[in-house]
Amino acid sequence: MGKYEVVIVGAGPAGLSAAIEAASSGCKVLIIDENSKPGGQLFKQIHKFFGSKEHRAGIRGINIGKQLLEEAERLQIEVWLDSEVCGIFDQHKIWVVKNKKKTILLEADRIILATGATENAVSFPGWHLPGVMGAGAAQTMINIHRVLPGTKVLMIGSGNVGIIVSYQLLQAGADVVAVVEGSPRLGGYGVHTAKIRRAGVPFYVSHTVAAAEGNGKVERAKIVQIDSSWKPVPGTEKELEVDTICIAAGLSPLTELAYLAGCEFTYTPVLGGHVPWHNSRMQTSLEHLYIAGDISGVEEASTAMEEGRMAGLQAAASLGYMNDGEKQEKEQEIQARLDDLRSGFFGEKRMNAKNIIFAAGGKQK
Amino acid sequence: MYRIKHHPILGDLDDKKEDLVTIYVDGTPLPVRKGEMIAAALMAHGIRVFRKTIKHKNPRGIFCGIGRCTDCVMTVNGIPNVRTCVTPVEDGMRVETQEGSGKWGDSHG
Amino acid sequence: MTDREIFICRCEEVTLSEIEQAIDEGFVTVNDVKRRTRAGMGLCQGRTCGKRIAQIISKKTGIPLETLLSGTTRSPVRTEKMEIFKGEQDV
Repeated sequence: MGKYEVVIVGAGPAGLSAAIEAASSGCKVLIIDENSKPGGQLFKQIHKFFGSKEHRAGIRGINIGKQLLEEAERLQIEVWLDSEVCGIFDQHKIWVVKNKKKTILLEADRIILATGATENAVSFPGWHLPGVMGAGAAQTMINIHRVLPGTKVLMIGSGNVGIIVSYQLLQAGADVVAVVEGSPRLGGYGVHTAKIRRAGVPFYVSHTVAAAEGNGKVERAKIVQIDSSWKPVPGTEKELEVDTICIAAGLSPLTELAYLAGCEFTYTPVLGGHVPWHNSRMQTSLEHLYIAGDISGVEEASTAMEEGRMAGLQAAASLGYMNDGEKQEKEQEIQARLDDLRSGFFGEKRMNAKNIIFAAGGKQK
Repeated sequence: MYRIKHHPILGDLDDKKEDLVTIYVDGTPLPVRKGEMIAAALMAHGIRVFRKTIKHKNPRGIFCGIGRCTDCVMTVNGIPNVRTCVTPVEDGMRVETQEGSGKWGDSHG
Repeated sequence: MTDREIFICRCEEVTLSEIEQAIDEGFVTVNDVKRRTRAGMGLCQGRTCGKRIAQIISKKTGIPLETLLSGTTRSPVRTEKMEIFKGEQDV
């Protein structure tokens, strides 16, 4: 059985950062990812990131991805791609299907889950028609595969994902017919929202999609105004000619492996629902198992990277790769950056939600 | 018309002959980009219906795009239920619209 | 198509009214609704509809979402072909 000191599941921003931190401290690290390329969702993010310089602000997500990969390569971190982690048994055993062919059992002293998140669905009449898809699916199509999912798009949801994907659809040459938002206020960062507004895209707040219609595929969408209890207001229905409807209804943490491993869970609507309980050092209720990134609550790539570093650092420290002084110093640096990222209007909500999780306590306190 | 040839950030796409391979979609040969996912290749050619459901024979296409929802499954080289959004194209690949749970073809294995 | 005939489980094409009927009959966890209606038993194994069904149960019964998990997770947590189990294993 292959033995590693640290096995990391997921080679996105959190997983790569965790691997870099642990490996640079001296750990023998393996990182496993189900996709054929590492980077997670970073390579879809062709926009510039916010934050301060330490968070690589002003750099496009794709380039941050390249930097992380270069660093991982320099540290000679072992990466298995096209490999799916199917289960965790007896605390330390990890079942992997490598290269979609071979089933392997590994043993790990420390496990870091950085499995990310999955898009939420909203259901409406006709949502099964070809042409209705997740905003993330559309983003993959345009920015990774360079294919337009359609030419006339309706975006449901004005949060950051909805807004950023709308802008990127415009950049790719699609026509964004409208952005529909259920709540009375727009949800995304003002900078991005303003860009789309300037491009002439109409926003419909307090509106929802009533139906997708068409013969075998999306040909039009019906939207309708809703009142404060989300009931349709009669007589406000509008028909839009679209061939694509993108759903940006938030994300849910991908927690299956943490559940199988036996982690305690906690519920936090602000961060996407059920998440494995964890402390500020990213340790779960299982002493040897850490989490980082969206699995611990949906935030952003910048926070995911810092959480990854924190998890990698803690895993390395617990294996004796540094003394308490070094550990505390690094821990404080990472924590300061995380606090910084969780400030401001959007950040504070996430900070409060995180603090509630930390305070809730688990077996590890 | 669905291929993004020009892009303000990603730059221009200038596929040479050696960048392309041929797949057969319900028998029709289509030029596609080497290594791209089957679903992307089909979308680039404006194909949106990938299968018909078991119960109501409803058409389905790509939905999640990351291999989780299984809506985009098709019969590929005679093997049904292949997730086309996470399966790359190969030269000569046979891709068929899947009816219901699909039928095993004689070209697999 | 009416609002109540929309598919909640896309794979098994189980409608909202079928799910609401199961809830009325007393099936008030995601697992129980799954056993009653087949919602979540299709190819994707409830990955898309699990959370939606939890929301529908919560809205209809008042059971807090906090207590409704999206269904039991079992390994393998990814879609694998049976053929990977044949032959020698590196364990």
